[in-house]
Amino acid sequence: MCVLELKDIHFAYAGHDRNALRGVTLSFPPGQRVALIGRNGSGKSTLMLHCNGILRPQKGQVILGGEPVTFERASLTNLRRHVGLILQDPDDQLFSANVMQDISFGALNLGLSETEARVRVQEVAELCDVTHLLERPTHALSGGEKTRVALAGVLAMHPSLLVADELINALDPWARQQVFGILDRIVDEGKTVLLATHDMDVAFGWGERVIWMEEGKVRLDGTAKEVQAVFDAENPAFAGHVPPRF
Amino acid sequence: MPLCLRGSALMQIIDRIAYASPLRSIDPAQKAGFTVLVIALCLTLNRPWVGVAAALSVWILSVGLGQVSAGVMRRVVLAEGIFLAASVAGVAVSVRFDPFFIGMTPHGLDSALLLFSRSLGCVLAMNFLALTTPMIDLVDLGHRLRLSPLLLDLMTLIYRFIFTLLESVERIHTAQEARLGYSGFWRSMSSAASLAALLFVDAYRRSARVQVAIEGRGYDGNLRVLRNGYRWNMGLLFWMGAILALMIFAWSI
Repeated sequence: MCVLELKDIHFAYAGHDRNALRGVTLSFPPGQRVALIGRNGSGKSTLMLHCNGILRPQKGQVILGGEPVTFERASLTNLRRHVGLILQDPDDQLFSANVMQDISFGALNLGLSETEARVRVQEVAELCDVTHLLERPTHALSGGEKTRVALAGVLAMHPSLLVADELINALDPWARQQVFGILDRIVDEGKTVLLATHDMDVAFGWGERVIWMEEGKVRLDGTAKEVQAVFDAENPAFAGHVPPRF
Repeated sequence: MPLCLRGSALMQIIDRIAYASPLRSIDPAQKAGFTVLVIALCLTLNRPWVGVAAALSVWILSVGLGQVSAGVMRRVVLAEGIFLAASVAGVAVSVRFDPFFIGMTPHGLDSALLLFSRSLGCVLAMNFLALTTPMIDLVDLGHRLRLSPLLLDLMTLIYRFIFTLLESVERIHTAQEARLGYSGFWRSMSSAASLAALLFVDAYRRSARVQVAIEGRGYDGNLRVLRNGYRWNMGLLFWMGAILALMIFAWSI
């Protein structure tokens, strides 16, 4: 069964004539590396905000584990328990003054006890290699550390689908490597990662499935190889520099 | 360097010292309780020596047990001392118009001295707290004292985003300076005004993104996070008691 399905989603921002999403239908089975590509303004971020219930579709349905999301509090809590959202700039994600407290926020919101939350914090801190940072103030972290802490904060909720909006764009190659290591480990655990990126090497190298958005619609949805073939044919200037596996 | 960036550097230094302090792990209730008692004694015991005793002994406590460098203490206290001296000058100097008199009276001087020593004692007590206790520990203490959760959540967010917004100020300032934005008085004024406007827009947009991020993690109106663990230190408690006793002794002589 799919973790999450989006059925014929339409959405327009207030005051904008053009729809940001125009009939998007997608499904996310467990254990996939999914890359989301498309130009700026193609609807990638809007799509991601629908996955986590931050935006409510004006038409269409978000279906979690076979059940439509009703957008009432209980339904939204359930959606956010299963779909984790991480933004591009970790400074937008880290609100607390201290790393441990920030990571514990999502876990405690799930209703876990303090003891259970502490276990979760320790577990994801090890996964994201931030155990040594737990007592540090969030504003004193480097960019790569902030990203790993932000990732840990979302993973502490044990989501089945991780939605990451341009997570790796501002990272140096070493920090990227670390983040991809974490993403690979959670995919190996059977979770799905949806990663929006403008880096075609990442999209076609890391992603096993690639979704190509254009003007609020899904232009192509297929294996990395299939989408790359079309992409390279249409954009010869970018073609031929993608490694076989990221 | 604009004033706000200098302020940012000072704030970051104080924050770093507080996080690195050997007294960091001690219960903020112990440190805050001591600070409140010192301030209360400075304000209620009506002798200049009380403030002087408080200032000197808290200085020694901060440098000795708190391991705050004497140079940092000197700079911080100098800045505060100058500000206090300028403020009490108005109390020391009397001006009368009929007959005209401008000068200092013994009573005015006594009042100014008392005010200065009291304020200095209180300021040093606050410095001790600020240089050994990061804001996050004070927020934790606020939760234990059952202060308004909304107020404490706001304090947490404001504290966190002061640093983020200061980073934005630095970025915008650098971009402006690189294009000669601060060459000349009027250009500086104009650049500073547009920096303030941009910062407002940046803060507004950032707050919207933070809202999205915390909602995505199940925010329901309360910023629930794990609390830190602390301990009381009997050695420190002894020295705190000794300082309070010294203040009472200074009052009695």
